[in-house]
Amino acid sequence: MPLIEVQDVSKLYGFGDASTLALDEVSLKIEKGECVAVMGPSGCGKSTLMNIIGLLDRPTHGSYKFDSKPVGRLRPNQAAKIRRDSIGFIFQSFNFLPRLTTLENVALPLVYKGVSVSRRIKLASEMLERVGVQNREYFLPGQLSGGQAQCAAIARALVNNPKLIIADEPTGNLDSASSLLVMELLADIHKSGNTVIFVTHNPELTRYATRVLYMHDGQIVHDEKTALGRVATTARKVLYTLPAAVNEDDVLAGVSAIMKAIPSKLTTPRPKRKKTKAKPIKRTAAKKRRQS
Amino acid sequence: MRKSSLTRGHFKAGIDAVRGAKLRSFWTMFGVIIGVVSVITIIGIGQGVSRQVTGQIHHLGNDLITVRPAQLHPGGDHGNGSVSLLSDSSGLSGTLRTHDITTVAGVKGVAASAPLTIVTGKVTGDQGNYDQGFVIGTGTDLDSLLNQSVAYGSFLTSDDEGSNAAVLGPHAAEALFNEDVPLGRSFNFHGQRFIVRGIFNNFTTTPLTQETDFNNAIFIPNEVAQDLANNAAPTYEILAKPSNPKQVNQVADSIQRALDRSHGGQSNLSVSRGNQNVVASQDILSLLTKLVAGVAAISLLVGGVGIMNVMLVSVSERTHEIGIRKAVGATNRQILSQFMVEAATLSVIGGTIGVVLALAIDGLMRAFTDIRPAISWQTVVLAFGVSLVVGVIFGTIPALKAARRDPIEALRSE
Repeated sequence: MPLIEVQDVSKLYGFGDASTLALDEVSLKIEKGECVAVMGPSGCGKSTLMNIIGLLDRPTHGSYKFDSKPVGRLRPNQAAKIRRDSIGFIFQSFNFLPRLTTLENVALPLVYKGVSVSRRIKLASEMLERVGVQNREYFLPGQLSGGQAQCAAIARALVNNPKLIIADEPTGNLDSASSLLVMELLADIHKSGNTVIFVTHNPELTRYATRVLYMHDGQIVHDEKTALGRVATTARKVLYTLPAAVNEDDVLAGVSAIMKAIPSKLTTPRPKRKKTKAKPIKRTAAKKRRQS
Repeated sequence: MRKSSLTRGHFKAGIDAVRGAKLRSFWTMFGVIIGVVSVITIIGIGQGVSRQVTGQIHHLGNDLITVRPAQLHPGGDHGNGSVSLLSDSSGLSGTLRTHDITTVAGVKGVAASAPLTIVTGKVTGDQGNYDQGFVIGTGTDLDSLLNQSVAYGSFLTSDDEGSNAAVLGPHAAEALFNEDVPLGRSFNFHGQRFIVRGIFNNFTTTPLTQETDFNNAIFIPNEVAQDLANNAAPTYEILAKPSNPKQVNQVADSIQRALDRSHGGQSNLSVSRGNQNVVASQDILSLLTKLVAGVAAISLLVGGVGIMNVMLVSVSERTHEIGIRKAVGATNRQILSQFMVEAATLSVIGGTIGVVLALAIDGLMRAFTDIRPAISWQTVVLAFGVSLVVGVIFGTIPALKAARRDPIEALRSE
């Protein structure tokens, strides 16, 4: 019985001409105990998928079963209760309440569960000890380093003992040492039986995943099972094929070279995005620079 | 080393947390405080001024009837106070006589009456001559007619009629004897010795003209006054009150008729009612009441809008916080009740500080200015209630709006 069962889920933003198809009939099953890495370029719908799986957002079309219960059409308050009891979030920008201490921030999900103050403090403190930042309990989030903050965020995600941990680019704001620390923690959580989904741009981090999903323009274009401790093959390919598209001129042109490479990859016509409009302008600007 | 830096870290973190939350809380409360203080102070000043004016107009009561000679001329150089009379030597009309006093007292429906007779002459006390005031012959009902209480001793009673007793205005007592309570002391007037029986409280108004000040007056029984002046002392006013205040008009008419009869149908006396005197003032008073009500409404509005703005800003600043709380599983109702409790707490604390501050301002104004603000409990309840309701409503509605927003959208806002 899969923990997550997403069937033909689409997500539309905006209306009429301005509408954007963020997810395009995505279907996905994730079993209990999996550790799934989601990769893909910016704007491919990774975060939208995470938000829908995490019940922060509702799909425009399609069905979603979480823990065998249909949750795609839940009312906001019912969704909030499932988030509270079964889902832990880790964000790229930590998302702490800046005026509460780290301990109070970690205890926050327990507040809405109705746990007593003393028990809240005890559980949160235990969780901070588990992630190794107990000596920062009474610091404000702003006084923590990035790594410490993300560890504390993991503690907050874990404090309700959720069935699913969703991490949206957990290492996006961190240096490599802190990234490693955070990923080791996530791997630890996975080993102790939790289901983890994380979004990343770094192919190296697929070492921690048992399965890697590649997304592009709102679709899952590749789904690969991989062994723990090994970089996924497709991820490596992405890593090595990308620089090949850049020739000497492109290096001189800088960013615009990568922009140039994108239209050639669009084989099938897609709903127009704002990004495509910006491209020609940048390319001509780059050409001018090259000529001069 | 590590331990000490850790302790310092804890300490600093705690201080910072309090300070951070305190500043926002303070600014939120500040709106409430300003609102409450302005509402209470402005309404208080309005009501105070209104009460002062009303008090001066109504002190004598609406039911006071005054009988006066038709031609009373203020000013003059007789030295007795600042009222002088153009005496009509014929005595037939235009001047009040002793029998007029008994006529007025005998009219049906008159509960109390007293003449006011000015007696000229030198008053000599321990401190020498007293020439700032004047001597008034009057009856035993004067204190109740004027609603004027006696501070020490008692007013003239029926036992004093015909005897040399006197009641002094507070300034006269001070000037004559150089003490506040000169009960039992005596002074000379027209060669006779008068014993002080009582001292009036401070007069705030006088039933005569603006220039006379009863605080400087010496009151003696009317019979004695007439004896001293050989029955030639001019009675310039008779005051009367009806037994039933509602019948003041009928009683005034009866007095007029009785006087006309006793003067052979052609008396030159005017009978006026107290509320006739204040008819013009009534218009002023109703205008004043409307003014106070208008000012109160505007200050409530301004205070309310101030609180509203502060609450709106403080809540919309926290949209991100609402997003985080929703992401970790807070339901809309939980967020709503949290913001409601916070807004109510801030409003109650701010309102209390505002009330205390308003009372302090009231005290300062009483101490250093002539304004006597009247802060009634209704004003306090009104200001407090409105600030609480406005604070809770406008602290909660934007929170409700934010809570109903997509959690992702709220998370994205910074």
